[in-house]
Amino acid sequence: MYLYSLTLQRPGGVVCATNGNFVGGKTQEIVVARGKTLDLLRPDESGKLQTLLSVEVFGAIRSLAQFRLTGSQKDYVVVGSDSGRLVILEYSRERNVFHKVHQETFGKSGCRRIVPGQFLAVDPKGRAAMVAACEKQKLVYVLNRDAAARLTISSPLEAHKSHTITYSVTGVDCGFDNPVFAAIELDYSEADIDPTGQAAADAQKHLTFYELDLGLNHVSRKWSEPVDNGANLLVTVPGGGDGPSGVLVCAENFVIYKNQGHPDVRAVIPRRADLPAERGVLVVSAATHRQKSMFFFLLQTEYGDIFRVTLEHEGDRVTELKIKYFDTIPVTSSMSVLKTGFLFAASEFGNHALYQFQAIGEAEDVEASSATLMETEEGFQPVFFQPRGLKNLVRIDQVESLMPIMDMRVMNLFEEETPQVFTLCGRGPRSSLRILRPGLAINEMAVSQLPGTPSAVWTVKKNVNDEFDAYIVVSFVNATLVLSIGETIEEVSDSGFLDTTPSLSVSLLGDDSLMQVHPNGIRHIREDGRINEWKTPGKKTIVKVGLNRLQVVIALSGGELIYFEMDMTGQLMEVEKHEMPGDVACLDIAPVPEGRHRSRFLAVGSYDNTIRILSLDPDDCMQILSVQSVSSPPESLLLLEVQASTGGEDGADHPASVFLNAGLQNGVLFRTVVDMVTGQLSDTRSRFLGLRAPKLFSATVRGRQAMLCLSSRPWLGYIHQGHFLLTPLSYETLEYAASFSSDQCAEGVVAVAGEALRIFTIERLGETFNETVVPLRYTPRKFVLQPRCKHLVIIESDQGAFTAEEREAARKECLEAAKMGENGNANNRQQMENGGGAGDDDEDDALSDEQYGYPKAESDKWVSCIRVLDPRTGNTTCLLELQENEAAFSLCTVNFHDKEYGTLLAVGTAKGLQFWPKRSLAAGFIHIYRFVEEGKSLELVHKTQVEGVPLTLCQYQGRLLAGIGSVLRLYDLGKRRLLRKCENKLFPNTIVSMHTYRDRIYVGDIQESFHYCKYRRDENQLYIFADDSVPRWLTASHHIDFDTMAGADKFGNIYFVRLPQDLSDEIEEDPTGGKIKWEQGKLNGAPNKMEEIVQFHVGDVVTCLQKASLIPGGGECVIYGTVMGSLGALLPFTSREDVDFFSHLEMHMRQEHPPLCGRDHMAFRSAYFPVKDVIDGDLCEQFPTLPPDLQRKIADELDRTPGEILKKLEDVRNKII
Amino acid sequence: MSTYGGDSWAREAHHRKRRVDDLMLSSSSSSFRDASFPSFKKLSNGKYACLVCPHNPILDTPLMLSVHNKGSRHIAAESRVRASELSKRNELHKRIALSDDSTGLSSSDILVQQGKSSGFHNKPLIQKTMKAILETKSNQMENPKFVVAGHKTELRTRSSVCDSKHSPAADGIREPSGNDACESSNSNEKKLLMTAATNKMLTDWHSEFSERREKELKFTSAGWKRDCHGKWYRDENVEFDSDEEDPNITLR
Repeated sequence: MYLYSLTLQRPGGVVCATNGNFVGGKTQEIVVARGKTLDLLRPDESGKLQTLLSVEVFGAIRSLAQFRLTGSQKDYVVVGSDSGRLVILEYSRERNVFHKVHQETFGKSGCRRIVPGQFLAVDPKGRAAMVAACEKQKLVYVLNRDAAARLTISSPLEAHKSHTITYSVTGVDCGFDNPVFAAIELDYSEADIDPTGQAAADAQKHLTFYELDLGLNHVSRKWSEPVDNGANLLVTVPGGGDGPSGVLVCAENFVIYKNQGHPDVRAVIPRRADLPAERGVLVVSAATHRQKSMFFFLLQTEYGDIFRVTLEHEGDRVTELKIKYFDTIPVTSSMSVLKTGFLFAASEFGNHALYQFQAIGEAEDVEASSATLMETEEGFQPVFFQPRGLKNLVRIDQVESLMPIMDMRVMNLFEEETPQVFTLCGRGPRSSLRILRPGLAINEMAVSQLPGTPSAVWTVKKNVNDEFDAYIVVSFVNATLVLSIGETIEEVSDSGFLDTTPSLSVSLLGDDSLMQVHPNGIRHIREDGRINEWKTPGKKTIVKVGLNRLQVVIALSGGELIYFEMDMTGQLMEVEKHEMPGDVACLDIAPVPEGRHRSRFLAVGSYDNTIRILSLDPDDCMQILSVQSVSSPPESLLLLEVQASTGGEDGADHPASVFLNAGLQNGVLFRTVVDMVTGQLSDTRSRFLGLRAPKLFSATVRGRQAMLCLSSRPWLGYIHQGHFLLTPLSYETLEYAASFSSDQCAEGVVAVAGEALRIFTIERLGETFNETVVPLRYTPRKFVLQPRCKHLVIIESDQGAFTAEEREAARKECLEAAKMGENGNANNRQQMENGGGAGDDDEDDALSDEQYGYPKAESDKWVSCIRVLDPRTGNTTCLLELQENEAAFSLCTVNFHDKEYGTLLAVGTAKGLQFWPKRSLAAGFIHIYRFVEEGKSLELVHKTQVEGVPLTLCQYQGRLLAGIGSVLRLYDLGKRRLLRKCENKLFPNTIVSMHTYRDRIYVGDIQESFHYCKYRRDENQLYIFADDSVPRWLTASHHIDFDTMAGADKFGNIYFVRLPQDLSDEIEEDPTGGKIKWEQGKLNGAPNKMEEIVQFHVGDVVTCLQKASLIPGGGECVIYGTVMGSLGALLPFTSREDVDFFSHLEMHMRQEHPPLCGRDHMAFRSAYFPVKDVIDGDLCEQFPTLPPDLQRKIADELDRTPGEILKKLEDVRNKII
Repeated sequence: MSTYGGDSWAREAHHRKRRVDDLMLSSSSSSFRDASFPSFKKLSNGKYACLVCPHNPILDTPLMLSVHNKGSRHIAAESRVRASELSKRNELHKRIALSDDSTGLSSSDILVQQGKSSGFHNKPLIQKTMKAILETKSNQMENPKFVVAGHKTELRTRSSVCDSKHSPAADGIREPSGNDACESSNSNEKKLLMTAATNKMLTDWHSEFSERREKELKFTSAGWKRDCHGKWYRDENVEFDSDEEDPNITLR
């Protein structure tokens, strides 16, 4: 089996981010590392974050920093990764790529203790960079420029100190003196050799300054001083004339200003009043804002509160450190303050947000200050504050992130054309169920009913220079309706259009006249209101029209074509007639090219399954230039002109070209390139769009020509980051559409479907999925489908939080204390009903849990609930909150044989589970629930105590299988409890997954991969007959076929294991069953071993696997979801030819286009086990981003043209999605 | 047909061969071995599942199936299936013979004597033949009542469960024999009836047996065990409901 791996949805989570002027000029961009992809984001004029570039680096990005050489206008990005190399990147605006400026190797690859890459710090003046490991090693590179102003990098200077753990590194701003780096370090050399543990208890963190002597080219430890043992983060304080220099040390509960030769200035971090006393406050992320005259820091705590920290200083002496509560936003992994007044908050989990500053919190009343620091015998006096609604920030945009995906299932619950992906995402109060549909999201602006069933719709401008459309013209079977677009849309009768006949086409002709084509003629309405009518000869009627701004071609019944052109005076003149052999099915003229009088090509589709290209040049007017035969009669044609592009913001280089698109009656979209000179057709591609013949319309997307295809669902063909993408829209079936532009909606679409007129815009271009979000209360763990009424049953649980009632009570108390009255209370109650905030953040006073997090409880307290949810409406029909510190961990539906209950729900819970100092629990339970009210609600039947946590449950032969710790147990339903019928205790660690098929049970162990079991009824015994020889730390598993299982381990690998055929046959054909009973393995293993048939390193922890097909009629592939919120697919190849082709392409890509961050591609995909039989589609799909000559070179070696390779790549992608 | 001239003969020949395979396949569904065990199954989605190979591969087209049928793995599996079927049939014959014999043993004194005297009781086939001869002899004697009665007593001795269900069948047989005055002349018809009746008895008895076996399995899988006297007792590691059925009572 060979598989093709393709990432369907890029990861959403952010590991680290940095901001600067990477493009050059005045704009500010953000570089974001999402695990293994590097994105360049920029807020546009309307405050929406746009992704300029997203590139997969095939390595783990661990740190990012930005620097600028003095005097230059552009920033560089330094990347610390697992490649054992330091990489400096520069963004190239012309080609829209990151360009690798330097790549310095310093160590082994992989994320190791002593190989640098975890921490990066740059000198604020851009003269040096330090890259550090978690332990021991620190390397400093000197950055400079050569005579040609190119960036140069020195060989590394070592600043190692063994037996030292590093916590944080930063560059100290000391103007143009020698660069200094600061680090928080802990020396464990004594603790390591002291067996009494005294030294370990006394270990002390130090703040150390390293100075790079530029003259001597040498790094020395300049200064080291003890700091609080809770210190975890360093923030650079501006220096060199702008400020006092030095660093802020963020420690547990304190922020301390430190500098060499300066006394500490310490202030306490304010605490939330409801925080338990034993919990400290840690700063998790920091951002600095600097202007010429002032600077401040924004520090965010682990509870999401942002504090504004300011320093009062006279020259180099800091007199006071002030901390003021700023605002509260969800906990971030990184914050960036942009000079343009935005704050980009990369959330730790869930959606990221872009905020705009309303104020900078300059009021005088600070919560904590170094001047008011009170010390008593018990230590420093804490300072309290009350979080409030957003005052200084306002959220203007969100970037969706699925991180972390906890569970996923691909199902077609809504009976749509393509299945939906149901994912459980997020953590704590920000968790949600997200329903993903392949396709672009649309924003419906208006729907209005029309008096009849319209057949077509157009929009026209009054003048070519107008920005917005003037009329919407709707054609019915026997009438035409004209609507004028203004503040509102209303019917008008003074437009000059004939309203007693259906229309075939309506458009703007020339600069300012309108034209209506109806079956009996052409009506030309001049700007001054004069009307010219052209009538069809004899009894013939017009059947089809093709037109652009200056040319009109009509097809009469019988197959006669008449060509009109607009002359100098604005008159429509008949130029040429042409007789086609049969009736014309469709025709189209390309738009008039820039600076020309006419378009050269006319495309005519006939019912004899051909498309002809005719010339419209005066020299060879109506001559057939080329003919293309197609598989079915064409229904609709569209000549799409793609303008030449020379890179820039959106797109790579490509010359201007004309594409002929044809929608065929069998539902296929046929696409081919028209030679601009000869009209010859080449490079044909076809794709099945749906059951209806696609109708094609031109539209505008981001100022570029795009194509709408209306089949059984609408599709959009557009250019995104240099690639032509054809993506479905998540919308209902449409009949006819036209582009629409008004002052409320610049780039919209107006369409008719049924009896309604719909206006919508298309959002989030470039994305594969669009999502519907249903908020949940706690971290979702798993879910199952209730098979009868198609409801989802979700279990959620959180550690260290209060139950809903306790929260409600505390809130009431708090509100009463604040005397807020009943009004606010009612609001909160309603929100609680929704199950943890429905995301309406415009409520002013409600401190939504989504924004502020749950109040924190002791770490051994658990809250958990079981929810029955109707996925169609998103309503929760039943929510059972578990009591007494119980938390749900597993669930399944089960039908007990010959028991009267029907489908029951089994939920495995644990009571009082603790992980620290030792994993312990009070008890485990299996609850059995009955579905009542047609599956909308649950009723407890009974609960059974077990001795461990039931981490997995599964139905098997009308009974319940449970994995409880290392025991596999079979239960039957009893009157008062579950009855233990059979068990097997021979599993090595903990059972985390179970699948059953026929009489086999596939058990996944937390550390030891899969075990295949069989149950024998006559002996009432469970036997393990095969296992895996590789110890895998299983995180996800899926049953592929009788002998094969797919699994994923916690190191980010996906693998398939298969029981060899002969072994499987032997086991299945053992007539007496004696062998399975008496056979024994070696060293406590099972007698038979499975073989690993597929192995692939994804580079991200896979949490769920499923076999599914995302397109109707497509082959099945394995879909996986990861912690970072990405979705990927593994598609099995069906022919050896394809395998050969793609493995060669992959090989060439590895050679010619090594990954950006310096990790060897092959080494990355084989990070833990050698990659086996999987071809990396993500690397192959980077082929179009190569420069054209390199593309040609690779194509030559594969004996193909670049076009063929692109087609092949497109084909294989279309097989998956 | 100038099939082998030109440069396309191989391809065409191949095509024809494939077509023949195709046809063979569709015909083989009825002819291949006995109809009770087809080699493949046409699924509702139009695909084919090979029933011979143990992992039941799904094949998209009859062509693929025919290619698959030629594969070494399939052939190996097929021969294995054949062998196992053969051995199963042998085993079956043996067991049937044995079981018939055991009934014979309890029913007919002559057979017991004969069997014992000749020392054939561990050779079921020979015993079976003997019994068959005996039976035909007794049939010739045209004494159906004796046979039925014999069967009936035999069933009585076996188990109480079978008894209640079997008595109507036995009655059905007795009925025609009840008014033998009008039918005594038609001995052929009677003979036919007799063989049909014994066949029915046999299948009934088989279903009875499998039912009983199923019941026993249900009890074993519910955690009951049997001691050396055949008495059922509860496995101490297994939990039981308070009102659970006791096989000692149910199966008696």
